[in-house]
Amino acid sequence: MLFRFKADVARREGRRSATSLAIIILVLASLVACAPSHQNRIVIGSKNFTEQLILGEILAQHIESKTHIPVDRRFYLAGTFICQQGMLAGRIDMYPEYTGTALTAILKELPGNDPRQVYDRVKNEYAARFHFEVGPPLGFDDTFAIEIRGDDARRLHLQTISQAAAFSPKWRPGFGYEFMERPDGYKGLVSTYHLQFAEPPRIMDLGLLTRALKDKQVDLIAGNTTDGLIPAFDLAVLQDDQHYFPPYEAVPVVRDETLRLHPEVREALQDLAGKISDAEMRDLNYAVDGQHRDAKEVVANFLRSKGF
Amino acid sequence: MSTNSKSAIEFRKVSYRPEGSAEILHDLDLRVHAGETLTLLGRSGSGKTTSLKLINNLVSPSSGDVIVEDHPTRTWDIIRLRRRIGYVIQDIGLFPHFTVERNITLIPRLEGWPVGRVQARLKELLSLVGLDPQLAPRYPRELSGGQRQRVGVARALAADPPILLMDEPFGALDPITRSDLQAEFAALQKRLRKTVVFVTHDVREALLLSDRIALMESGRLMALCTPKEFLHSSDPLVATYVRSAGADLDGCDRGEA
Amino acid sequence: MSVWHFMAQNRAEVFQLTLEHLWLVAISMLFAIVIGIPLGILITRWPALDKPILGSANIIQTIPSLALFGFLLPAPWFGERADRMAILALTVYSLLPLIRNTYVGIRGVDAAVVEAARGMGMTDRQMLLQVQLPLSLGVIIAGIRVATVISVGLATIAAAIGAGGLGELIFRGLAMVSDAVILAGAIPAALLALLADFGLGLLEKRLQRF
Repeated sequence: MLFRFKADVARREGRRSATSLAIIILVLASLVACAPSHQNRIVIGSKNFTEQLILGEILAQHIESKTHIPVDRRFYLAGTFICQQGMLAGRIDMYPEYTGTALTAILKELPGNDPRQVYDRVKNEYAARFHFEVGPPLGFDDTFAIEIRGDDARRLHLQTISQAAAFSPKWRPGFGYEFMERPDGYKGLVSTYHLQFAEPPRIMDLGLLTRALKDKQVDLIAGNTTDGLIPAFDLAVLQDDQHYFPPYEAVPVVRDETLRLHPEVREALQDLAGKISDAEMRDLNYAVDGQHRDAKEVVANFLRSKGF
Repeated sequence: MSTNSKSAIEFRKVSYRPEGSAEILHDLDLRVHAGETLTLLGRSGSGKTTSLKLINNLVSPSSGDVIVEDHPTRTWDIIRLRRRIGYVIQDIGLFPHFTVERNITLIPRLEGWPVGRVQARLKELLSLVGLDPQLAPRYPRELSGGQRQRVGVARALAADPPILLMDEPFGALDPITRSDLQAEFAALQKRLRKTVVFVTHDVREALLLSDRIALMESGRLMALCTPKEFLHSSDPLVATYVRSAGADLDGCDRGEA
Repeated sequence: MSVWHFMAQNRAEVFQLTLEHLWLVAISMLFAIVIGIPLGILITRWPALDKPILGSANIIQTIPSLALFGFLLPAPWFGERADRMAILALTVYSLLPLIRNTYVGIRGVDAAVVEAARGMGMTDRQMLLQVQLPLSLGVIIAGIRVATVISVGLATIAAAIGAGGLGELIFRGLAMVSDAVILAGAIPAALLALLADFGLGLLEKRLQRF
């Protein structure tokens, strides 16, 4: 009897305050329960540059048409880290990655040289560490390309980087900031090929490098093998005969959970294996970047041309 | 009536000095008889409020002992001590989020009294302090100053404590309300005969309500006597107080009953 | 494409991102309340701790939010998942308003009320639960309101480290140089903040009657 009334007083006096706080907490808790989940759709992500948008769109359109599962697109994610976080949290189910990037940026291992080895390593580690499945390579390698003007290449009969090393002391080089900083970038290039230049590299935004090369402000740059401007500006890619640059094969990365729920997706990814060559990727990039055509349309045409 | 010679409260050589400050009380020796109304009279800074707070241990003595009901405050369970002492302060301190009823019945409820007893006591108290029962469900902000202090007194008396401490309880009220409450309190005290320690700086109030007056100055007890003795005292300090109270004090003293 | 057109076409995604956003804010506010209010109560009881605790919370608030997310990247366990980092950062950012308002609210209770309560023999716990907390509830809710509104804004930055939410649309819109997409993220975020401010403001007014 005594206890009941002591509790009664406390409860009643504290009740109003407790009720208000409880309401707030309940509302918060129910919102907490709304953690993201999506059983009946697939979310495909991509990073925020043209090639990635195209690859994401290829994956999305093909999966939609082949499996009839609705696809949500979360493109323009700001980078590898963001994509990885999205995958881990289940906010995206799939995105296109490069084996070299997966190896160094995510797995934090030293860069490798053998494409097969790198692919296998990434595939195994991703399965073990993150429960992600790495699909078959899409067919091209988006790695660093050492580019010179087409004129110079033809005039001097240059096809490889080693050949170019003889002429580089007369050239001004241009590189992007990231290339200067990366372990598999400038430093290693110079020491592997014993390169010397007329002056220290001009450091520029990636987007401006290609144009600077064409306009003869620089004579040699490090770009990407799949840059659409290479054919457009008549630039030549020097062969990496010493296999200095690590492989960056494009692969789709999918969450195991997604494949468990939708096994037909695996087949769809198999369809795309090896279907995009370096040259084809350049053309696709150019169509969107250079000719300003709509990415969806470009991709639809491409898939049609491949018989899908 | 005669005052009981047993001490309800006793100060034995009590000194109080807060940390890093000057001494507020010096060697206070004082006995409060059970059932009497003793007034601590003095100016601001005389130590009267501090002395009051030593009784319910809101403040602890730096040296000496305050004995309440035969035990030093040091050895009392503080909560039990305070629940045996009613406390009425100048700013009243009613809980604004409680109704009048809840304010008054706070301690009986905390003590676990059965509902019936609590309700009965509430009725009793409301009539004792002269409050309309209709006010019971009201909130303090809806009451006048005088009504609020009546609630304060009722609250202090709720658990029927043997001791009542009052710190300038009517000081914040207008003169008419003040004199009403003084008169009512005097009548109440005649009925209840609790041990009351009353703090005031108002000589007339002291003369009106006390059985004995303890005059304090600078932390020391300067005089201790009945109101009659106070009025006719030759002590220079007492005399200044009497003079300051103005003319016609004869009606103010309490007769020996 | 106008922002309304975009939102209509992509309403599932906008809705999904809004839920993600709410989730981040809700769970971090929950933690902040559970940690901050007791800490606020603690420093009213142990005044020696008030400077160190308020001081620390203050210092955390002066760290630029994006930098705070960045600091957490190398942290063990937290640094591995963006939502953990985001929730940690949002929680500690919300602590100062909660601790401070609880502290100020309790200390702001009328001194006469506290003195009467003590003098009457209420235990410290009874006084806290029956007197001080109920009377400071309005101020505490004000602190929750401020912290929530800040969190909704801060959570948009969390997208920069991959925690999702409406910020993702804003960053995407920036990359695409598309106002429609930026606004598709910014408008719902602003609405959420306004809603929280308004709703909690109502609650605060109701409780500040005393």
